[in-house]
Amino acid sequence: MKWIPVYKRELRMLMRRMGNLGYLFSGLLFPMIYLLAFGWGLGDSVNVAGGYIGFLAKGMMAISVMMNSFQQTVISISAARFYYGTFQTLKLSPIGEKSLAFGLAMAGVTRGVFAGVIIALAAWLFFDIATLTIPGIIGLVLTAMCFASFGVAVGMSIKGQEQFSIIVNFFITPMTFFCGSFFPITNLPDMVQMAVKYLPLSLANSLLRLTSWDGSAVISVAILLLTAIAGFAWSVWRLNNYSEFE
Amino acid sequence: MENQTMPLAIEVKDLYCSAKGKKILQGVSLQVKQGEILGLLGPNGAGKTSLIRLICGLGPWQQGEIYLMGEKAERTRTDAQKAMLGLVPQENNLEKELTIYESIYCYGELYGLKDIKDQTEALIQKFHMEEWREKKPRQLSGGMQRRATIARASLPDPKILILDEPTVGLDPAMRQEVWQQVQMLKEAGTTILLTTHYMEEAELLCDRISFLKEGRVLLTDTAAGIKHRVMQDKGTLEDAYLSLVTGEGRQK
Repeated sequence: MKWIPVYKRELRMLMRRMGNLGYLFSGLLFPMIYLLAFGWGLGDSVNVAGGYIGFLAKGMMAISVMMNSFQQTVISISAARFYYGTFQTLKLSPIGEKSLAFGLAMAGVTRGVFAGVIIALAAWLFFDIATLTIPGIIGLVLTAMCFASFGVAVGMSIKGQEQFSIIVNFFITPMTFFCGSFFPITNLPDMVQMAVKYLPLSLANSLLRLTSWDGSAVISVAILLLTAIAGFAWSVWRLNNYSEFE
Repeated sequence: MENQTMPLAIEVKDLYCSAKGKKILQGVSLQVKQGEILGLLGPNGAGKTSLIRLICGLGPWQQGEIYLMGEKAERTRTDAQKAMLGLVPQENNLEKELTIYESIYCYGELYGLKDIKDQTEALIQKFHMEEWREKKPRQLSGGMQRRATIARASLPDPKILILDEPTVGLDPAMRQEVWQQVQMLKEAGTTILLTTHYMEEAELLCDRISFLKEGRVLLTDTAAGIKHRVMQDKGTLEDAYLSLVTGEGRQK
């Protein structure tokens, strides 16, 4: 349980940043604007089973979980490494690399789940839509785990903010638009559908929209879980090979 | 006799380190005895901070060995080896979101201390930080931040404390305060390795001094020993440093 002090420290710092409006908005503004703009602007004029606003709200939840679990984790770790020197404190602490990676990832999961819940509340408040189901909650947490563990690994791997921009531009932004957050994946050409079907955000969207368990949900859960484990293994490897000479 | 059986606090044997095609350390050997203060002096780029990083396990080396309290240290450290060491880096690295109290408290949690509240309170008193315990780093001067950083590093009572240029950029009064803190930690039995550019500081604080140049240790001795060996007792430590390290000694 050595990861708990890492988690508590990250959470304590997160709470302080949350008091900062800039932080709150940067993580939630984008999905919130899309939810309100498309929700009010297009409303149910877009033909999607179950209604477009409900569809969009779940998509925005998935996006906000991804952004907050992944991007905020990468930013937090890379800033601690490059600008504030605070990562040294963690690396030198007698907590072991696995516990350190797990504590940082769990803080990312908390960030992501919190952001997802805020979007769910906004959907309920503005459009009177209940977005969270049991499979949805499981999907939300697994998605956060998947993106947070990769967030730790990427935060440990990048050598500067430029590399982070490349990852955002080439991986996160395409996932945002092609993984079924704004429209069903089935609207895409077959080739593109095949390419994006098993990406974490597509799986997150599919789980968030489930009302009951089926075979595809189990596959989605398994893939998200395996991806989270792969991200965690990468994080531990990076921590074991940590170098301030890079 | 007791000293002969006690393991060295730090032993570095023939350490080589290169990074990005640059030779950083070229066969550094160094011994720090338990309870002593060893000063590392050398020009910028001599390899002082790099050596510290390697001793702390913050990077890889290509050849050589590092021992901490007699135990071989690999690149990835065991928790017990990590607990032996405390590091105060050149730049104050207190968490900007946390108050001084919280920063110290969280550090205690990371080190798995018991009675952290009591220990944090005691440390704040010991280092006279009561008045600004609830302040964040940005609300404090560089000297105050330095004091808090040193205090925090000493919380888990590490056997070895490494201070990288602890007084750089501080005014004379603050510098004296830091010196007092270092003395206090030595009296408590902590082994200290410190780097500095100030000869006065090295002479005042250090039991022995190592001169480092271009990734090599040139000489290790007491300040008096260095003056004797390099200047034949006819110059200051600074003269000896200039003569040995820069080759521009003011020979008297």
